[in-house]
Amino acid sequence: MPTLDRRTVGELLADSDSLARETLLDLSAGQSAAMVRTFGRVVDAAARLWAVLPPAVPPRRSEPDLMLRLRHVANGIAATTSAGHWPGPGPTDDRLLQIAHNLSRARILVERYGGDVQPTTADVRGDIAAARARIMHTLYVAAHGTAVAIIEHTKDLQEQLRIDIRRRRPVAQRPSVHESKAAQALSIRFGVFEQLVGRYVAGHPVTPAALGEMRPVPPASRLQSVLAGWDIQAHRTLLANPDAADLVRVSRIQALIASATAVVSEAAANQGIVDRQVAQRVIPFLDETQVAWTSVARRWAELTSPESRVDPLLVRAASQVRATVAATASNPTGWATPDEIAGRVDLPQTMNALHLNMVSTVDVAHVTRDIAATTPTLTAPARQIAMRAQGEAEIAADQGNTAYEGKTWATERQIATNQVIPLPTPARLGLIKATDHLIASCGSAVAAAAPLDPSESAQAMRPAARAPATRRSHHHVPTTPQHESAPRGPQR
Amino acid sequence: MHQWDTEDVETVAGIVRLLRRAAELSWIQADAGGPRSSHQLFAVGIDTAADEAANLLPRRVRLDGPTPVGQDPAALLGSAEQLLRRLCTEDPPPRLRALQSRVSELVWEANSGADA
Repeated sequence: MPTLDRRTVGELLADSDSLARETLLDLSAGQSAAMVRTFGRVVDAAARLWAVLPPAVPPRRSEPDLMLRLRHVANGIAATTSAGHWPGPGPTDDRLLQIAHNLSRARILVERYGGDVQPTTADVRGDIAAARARIMHTLYVAAHGTAVAIIEHTKDLQEQLRIDIRRRRPVAQRPSVHESKAAQALSIRFGVFEQLVGRYVAGHPVTPAALGEMRPVPPASRLQSVLAGWDIQAHRTLLANPDAADLVRVSRIQALIASATAVVSEAAANQGIVDRQVAQRVIPFLDETQVAWTSVARRWAELTSPESRVDPLLVRAASQVRATVAATASNPTGWATPDEIAGRVDLPQTMNALHLNMVSTVDVAHVTRDIAATTPTLTAPARQIAMRAQGEAEIAADQGNTAYEGKTWATERQIATNQVIPLPTPARLGLIKATDHLIASCGSAVAAAAPLDPSESAQAMRPAARAPATRRSHHHVPTTPQHESAPRGPQR
Repeated sequence: MHQWDTEDVETVAGIVRLLRRAAELSWIQADAGGPRSSHQLFAVGIDTAADEAANLLPRRVRLDGPTPVGQDPAALLGSAEQLLRRLCTEDPPPRLRALQSRVSELVWEANSGADA
C-alpha cells in the first residue's frame, strides 16, 4: 500500500523546486529525450495548480496571463514531438514526473482545503505570492535544465556523426541529421519558454528573504497585454487544425509587429533609452524578420481558396494588435516620430513588451514550420500551386535534383476548374524552406536584441552567452536574476 | 447567426470579394514599400474587415465569384461601404454595424492619410 503523502502545499512546492534544480546538477545528454517527453506534464500540472490558487493581488482585467502563454508554448512543443519528430515515444524522466505529481498533489490540497483562504491579510497574500513564485521558478529551472540537456544531446549527435563520417560507417548506422536538427529546434523552443517565464522569475525572486514578501507588480501596458493576448491566440489557433488563411494572418501580423519593433527601437535609441549602436545593429535583423514573415505569408496565401476563413478569435486579436500598434507608433501620414512615440508610451516598458514578443515569435515560427512539414492535409487551388511546384522543381533541377523531371502537378481539368488539390511535394518543400529561413531570421533578431533587454534570461539567448555546457555539477542554478550585478544568462 | 435572405447573402459575399481585392492591392503597395512600410497597418485593417465580413456568413456559403474590377483600394473600399450601407438600413446586427464602421474608418484612412 503506498505511503500517504502528508506534505503541505509549501513542502510540495519546495520539493518541486529542489527537484528541478537537481536536473541541472545531474545533467546528462542521455536524459534529454525523457525530459522533453515529460516536460508537458509538468507545465500542465503547474497550470492547473496556478488556476486554483487564489490571486495574491486583485487581478487586473488587462493583465496578460503568463501561465496560459506558457501552456500554449508547451502544447506546441508537445504537438511537435507527437507528430513523429525527435524524441518520439519512450521512457519519461523520473524527476520531472515527480514534480508533476507534486504539483498535482498541491492542487488537490488547495482545491480541498483552500476554499476558505481569502487573500485579505498581508501574510496570506505573501504566502500565495510565494507559492506562485515557486511554481514559476520550478518551470524556469526545469525548462533551463531540459534545454541544456538537449544541447548536450545535439553536441553528442554531431560529434558521433563526425566520427562516423571519418570512419566511413554506413549512412544507416550514423545518427540522423534530422534528429540533430529536430533536437536543435527544440532546444531553441525551450529557450523561448525559459525567457518567457524568466521575466516573472526576475520580478519574483525565490530567496529565503523574498519568499513570502509581496512586491508591487507594475501594471501591464496596453501593448504588453495585447501582444501577450496575440501570442496566446496565435498559438491556440495554430495548434487547432488551422486554415491556410489563419497562417497568412499570423504571418502578416508578425511582420507588422517586427516593423513596429524596429520603429520603436529607433525611437528608444533616439531618446537615449537604449544604446544607439545596439539599436542600429538590431534594426536590420528586424527588417529581415519582417521580410521573412512577409515571404511566408505570401507562400501560405497560395494555399488559400475563396472558401478559406480566418478563426474569428484570431481576427479579433489581430484587430487589437493593429489598433494598439497604430496608437503607439503611427500618425495619419505614416510611422510616428520618435518624439511622438516617447510622448505616448513608456518607452522602456514598450521596448520590454516588444522584446518579449520577439522571443515568443521564435516559437510561433517553429509551430508554422511544423504545420508546413507535417500537416498531411494541406491543399491549394491547382493553378497557382502547380506553377509554384513547377518553379520549385526547376530550382531543384538546377541544383542537380532530377527527381521531379517530367512530372506534372495537376491535371488539365484540375487547372481548368482551379480545383483544390493536395499540396505537391516540391511546393511543400519550398514552404518548409521559407519557414526554415524565417526561424533563422527570428533567432538572429532575438540574439542581436538581447543587449536591449535587461533580464538575465534574455542574455542566455545570445549565441556568445550559450557557453559550452560541461557535464554534471558545473551548472549554476538560476535563482535570482535581479540580484546579479550585471545582466547575465544562467550559466550553461 | 443573423438570418439573411438570399440577396443579403449575395451582397455580403460581394463585400467580402471587394474587401479581399482591396487587401490584395494594398499588400502589393505595402510589400513594395519595404520592411518598414507603414502601409502594412492599412492593409492589415482591410484584411481584418474582409475576415469579419466572411465570418458573418455560414461556412456553407460559397464566397467565390468574379474578381471586382479596379486597381484602387480606396475605390473598392468605397464600394464595399456603399453595399454595407444598403444592408444596414434598419437595426442591423451588432457585428454588421461594427463592420460598417470599420470599413468607413478605412475609407477615411484611405482618403486622408498616408494611403490617400
